[in-house]
Amino acid sequence: MKKSVIAATLAAALLFAGSASAQIKIGFHAPQSGPAAADGKSSTIGAEIARDWINEKGGVLGQKIELVIYDDQNKPDQAVPIANKLIGQDKAVAAVSGSYSAPTRAAAAVFQQVHIPYVSAYGVHPDITKEGNWAFRGVQLGPPQGKGAAKFIADKFGKVKVAMVTMNNDFGQSIAEGFKEEAPKLGLTIVKEYTFGLGERQFGPIVASVKADNPDVVYAIGYYFVGGPLVAQLRAGGLKQPIIGAQAFDSMKLMEIAKDAAEGVYIVGGMDRGRKTPADFQPYLAEFKKRAGYDAEAVSANCYSSVMLVADAIKRAGSTDPAKIREALAATKDFPMLTGPLHYFNSVGEIYSPLEVTQVKNGAFVGVTVVDDPSILAPPK
Amino acid sequence: MLFVELVVQGLVYGCMYAMMAVGLTLVYGLLRILHIAHAGVFALGAYMTVTVANATGSLALGFLVATVVSAIAGIAIYRLAYQPILHHAAFVPMVVSIGLFIVMQEAFRLIFGAYGIAFDKNPWYVAHVNLVGINLTYVEIAMVIMSVVLLVGFGLFAGLTRAGIGWRATVTDPHMATSFGVDPVRVRYVNFLFGSALAGIAGGLVGLLNNYVEPTMGGAVSYKALAIVVLGGLGSVRGTLIASLVLGVVEAFGAIYLANIFDRDAIGFLFLIVVLMVRPQGLLGRG
Amino acid sequence: MSAYIASLVSVIGINLILALSLNIITGFCGQVSLGHAAFYGLGAYMAAYLAKLGAPLPVTLLAGTAMAGAIGIVVGLTSLRVRHDFLAVTTMGIGFVLLGFVRKQKWLGGELGISGIPGPGLDAVSYALLIVAFAAAVLAFSLWIKQSWMGFTFDAVADDEDAARTVGVNVSTYKLVAFGIGTALAGTAGGLYIYFARIILPDTFDFVQSIAILTMVVIGGTGSVWGVFASTVVLTLLPEVSRAAADYRLLIFGAMLMLVMRFSPGGLAGLLRKPA
Repeated sequence: MKKSVIAATLAAALLFAGSASAQIKIGFHAPQSGPAAADGKSSTIGAEIARDWINEKGGVLGQKIELVIYDDQNKPDQAVPIANKLIGQDKAVAAVSGSYSAPTRAAAAVFQQVHIPYVSAYGVHPDITKEGNWAFRGVQLGPPQGKGAAKFIADKFGKVKVAMVTMNNDFGQSIAEGFKEEAPKLGLTIVKEYTFGLGERQFGPIVASVKADNPDVVYAIGYYFVGGPLVAQLRAGGLKQPIIGAQAFDSMKLMEIAKDAAEGVYIVGGMDRGRKTPADFQPYLAEFKKRAGYDAEAVSANCYSSVMLVADAIKRAGSTDPAKIREALAATKDFPMLTGPLHYFNSVGEIYSPLEVTQVKNGAFVGVTVVDDPSILAPPK
Repeated sequence: MLFVELVVQGLVYGCMYAMMAVGLTLVYGLLRILHIAHAGVFALGAYMTVTVANATGSLALGFLVATVVSAIAGIAIYRLAYQPILHHAAFVPMVVSIGLFIVMQEAFRLIFGAYGIAFDKNPWYVAHVNLVGINLTYVEIAMVIMSVVLLVGFGLFAGLTRAGIGWRATVTDPHMATSFGVDPVRVRYVNFLFGSALAGIAGGLVGLLNNYVEPTMGGAVSYKALAIVVLGGLGSVRGTLIASLVLGVVEAFGAIYLANIFDRDAIGFLFLIVVLMVRPQGLLGRG
Repeated sequence: MSAYIASLVSVIGINLILALSLNIITGFCGQVSLGHAAFYGLGAYMAAYLAKLGAPLPVTLLAGTAMAGAIGIVVGLTSLRVRHDFLAVTTMGIGFVLLGFVRKQKWLGGELGISGIPGPGLDAVSYALLIVAFAAAVLAFSLWIKQSWMGFTFDAVADDEDAARTVGVNVSTYKLVAFGIGTALAGTAGGLYIYFARIILPDTFDFVQSIAILTMVVIGGTGSVWGVFASTVVLTLLPEVSRAAADYRLLIFGAMLMLVMRFSPGGLAGLLRKPA
């Protein structure tokens, strides 16, 4: 009896995968259930908007694009079978990850082995692209983001004292590493680095200690849902110093949570919502809001742009041959990502793209400046 | 100065933990169940508070609904999930509880959305008073006052009223209490009612404190509260209160001085393990 | 066997080793552990660290197994000190402490974990078969323990520790043996995992993972080797067949856990045994 259950399950699994059609298939995976589901939902909507708009304009090479979407639950041991399924059963010609670092890194190794181009939309782990030349990244790596923040702080505030508040995960750690490397070179002094877990929302002890350090600015690396309470508590604790946040602060939820306390917060790597370029930026914001019911953040925009980028590469390749798509991707020049122009990919598939700095003004993200200094932002090889 | 401030912040944490952990202790003292789904009730309270407050504009109404709904949920959990399996090995109700907690978390996500909800109006959130150089927000002060009032109220109930004495008797010796005419089933219901209402209120307060109510907000609290209950000596209310405050302070200092070696969760548990190795029955547990 | 099937088989095999190893501690010997994933992680980190230094697969596997087993025996010592619910929360705490420590260790990659782990030197299908061979060995070993003299003693300890002590069973030794074997095998699973995922991060071995392993054991039927086998295979394949219902997957999982325990505390095995 047990055996028949297993056989039936396996058969069902194969059956689900078996439905084929003449469309160009692009694989996509994101966490859609469990704790990471919020970002997974947004990424999926972003990717779907890209698919729909491409198809409305007639698709690519005369064929429609099909996104084959799987839930990876933010787990590497789910991502490996998914990658194999996308390759073997679904015959995807390329794939995009709308997921975090761990599943993305695990899947990257699989795609590398069978030579299918793979774009990580927002996973910041440095090693995602290290497996080989078939993986690309649609977002700046952690260290350049951190270096960019150091550059912005030094330019804006001079040689000041900085207190760092860093989230305990790959995102926090990799950005912090870049910042700590660059800050001393630019004359910044790091008075202390505090760390906290993803689940934490109460920062009383850290606030008290930062106050005792009396820094000139606070650099906070974390997601918006920790950034919101942190910013509010820093202000409630009586700190009036400027606060600089990292890319993942970029969500309207930041203002919903921190309310007035969010005013004046800078975000290095944010999105200026009033921007008129590229041409699809404003329509995207409107369409996302319509579909999701809430405002778009950088994560979803990265997924949208990554799918657009892959479609563009297929077009430029003039073929659905994965090897040709990979070549076209590697040769990308000045592609208009929603988060900023993608100037080029370096030899290991890391993006070079300027970092936009925004500030919260009257409850909206407003552009302040752009950090575009190749000596700082150039991706590591 | 920093030292004093860390102690104060730690005690505020401690009050938050206490409101959660007392309900767990009550359940454990009576039924010997590690009631992990208690953290689901906590999140339920937070969701009730934020949705009602945002819909009606009245925070008081939000808390009222949260209290009532959480209390009912607690009773329902006892009646439907635990009562039928009380006679099984201790891990059976625990696993049921874990399953129930997962179901509640996922239900919150599906019903209220994967993103959290902030309060539309949260006037006490950033507003604060300065007590001898230490800033405390009004929400933090409310948290402390609320926990003291509710827990002292419970202490008076247990010490002075007839029902309270019956409750204490049942915890100490169920058979003896029954023979003196205490209805043990009613005591259990009162237990779940009170403990769950407390967790619901705590959920609403933590929601205000973070100004964010999210599906996973019970997660961290669930295991933290378990650690506290064990630390205090399973089933000892007084031990739980002391453990809550002690753990709050230990974490506050750990978050600053031990952050390069352990994360905050690990600090709390490290403390727990050290205490248990010295006193296997917890701080105030009976051997 | 396609690469997809091979990767599914690999995951099933690793999960089987994890569930069966916890079954030795919790099912056979009655010691509830909520921190099993920590030993899985210990084995994985040890193996990955050595693999990065160039050590071959047999060495890394052995080292991972030994590492997890050694720490497991130390943790087993706590089971001599605290019992029942206290033990459950203590083992959970040990999971948090080990993970919290690893997170902060630069030489273990901290939050970035260890990546760029070399391949096993086998193709995906052969490696899947290697994992299956290990899982089969653990299965056979479990069956052997169960009917051996050691198994009967475990049973006695699980049933009533004090009674076992009275009849002259060295309870402490047997508890330590159970912890040692169970955690060492979890370490083996960790070693096998690194060549499969090629990246490890602290989060992979967290409390949620411990609960997932425990779930496979209790749904199958604590102590029942074939029950645990069946539930592990079914639970691992569940995501594959329920892709359409992805949104409700965890909800269904939680409900299943709750309902199985509520109506058949003996798990799947208990369900089959009931009519008899």
